[in-house]
Amino acid sequence: MNKEPALIMPHYVSVVHQVLLDEAPYLASVIAKQHKEFGDHWLQEFERDLEVFFKASEPALRVATQGYIKFALDGMLLQKRFDKAGCYEPKSYAEAAAEVYQNEEYMHSLYLPGIYLSHFLWRHHYIQHVYFMERFIPMVKRHPGRTFYDVGVGTGFYSREMLRHIDGLKGQGFDLSKSSLDYTRRMVDAFGLGDRYRTNLQDILANPPGPPAAFLTNVEVLEHLEDPVAFLKGLNAMLETGGLAMITAAITAPNADHIYLYRSVDEVVAQVEEAGFKVIESREDAAYTPTKPHESVPKNAVVIATK
Amino acid sequence: MDIRPTLNKVFQQVFERPDLNISDAMTAQDVPEWDSLAHINLIVEIEEEFNLKFTVNDISGLKNVGEMIAMIERKIAARSA
Repeated sequence: MNKEPALIMPHYVSVVHQVLLDEAPYLASVIAKQHKEFGDHWLQEFERDLEVFFKASEPALRVATQGYIKFALDGMLLQKRFDKAGCYEPKSYAEAAAEVYQNEEYMHSLYLPGIYLSHFLWRHHYIQHVYFMERFIPMVKRHPGRTFYDVGVGTGFYSREMLRHIDGLKGQGFDLSKSSLDYTRRMVDAFGLGDRYRTNLQDILANPPGPPAAFLTNVEVLEHLEDPVAFLKGLNAMLETGGLAMITAAITAPNADHIYLYRSVDEVVAQVEEAGFKVIESREDAAYTPTKPHESVPKNAVVIATK
Repeated sequence: MDIRPTLNKVFQQVFERPDLNISDAMTAQDVPEWDSLAHINLIVEIEEEFNLKFTVNDISGLKNVGEMIAMIERKIAARSA
């Protein structure tokens, strides 16, 4: 049987791979799998991102990869429990916030590095990024607007990508977690984009920002909320008429802070429409193909909408 | 109590390999089928077999089967205490 030749990895990707081999060898095949599906462009993009964000600090990258291992294992364990229970672990928003967003140690050691690396290492997260680049960014470029809001910034990845790909665009990020805002500031500054961006520790429902923006991104926040529609109505008020929004949500994807269960992209679309948006297009992507029947799989829903 | 025979049986069932014999030094690199999905199936089957519930801190950083055995033994001892 012909074996595929071993993938030659660029330097910083090989650092990630070595940490996986040393500490979680059952996760190490993810790099070869991603390369097989997405090719050299994925590998080069991943390498460049790591080099810029970690400023050539291998120790920081190793620590982040260790955080990713815990993040991935936590998700996988919860997925198995979800298969048995058929629902997310019952939890209020306040309980999830205390466990995750307001827990600085958890955020910085596990959650934020895990989410950051998942943008490249998880199939459905990378597909979401490709879709953002191939569908949303061209729409934004054709639009005359030059302001955006990113609500629930997480690692700041999508704020950074908006700034990186649209010259002259200015933006603001909103989050209830100081840890997320600190990480986001590091993210945009590392790529030399900080002068066009402001972070805000702010509840957009309790304290709506001033004028609406031309563009809005809201990535994997809805599943964290007790009332996603109320939140979506708040987002709708933040978007200019004729503006463009990209809203994403996790589907059948348990996590420590996921409390609202979506079972399909159709459910997300229905809520986005109920909040007053007009949906332009949407899609749903899975993390992997299930190995057993009736086994749940984490998925992403992505919706591009206008007002 | 030597948990190795029971754990060996779990490994054989999860990987569908009745010929598989675990060793303390064994890692995922020694078993081609041992990817992330197989790993979590292993963890869940071990939970059921030994009537334990693991946290992510229990299962992260396990470098080989020997460390896995030590962790299971610690959890069993803590339950009995």
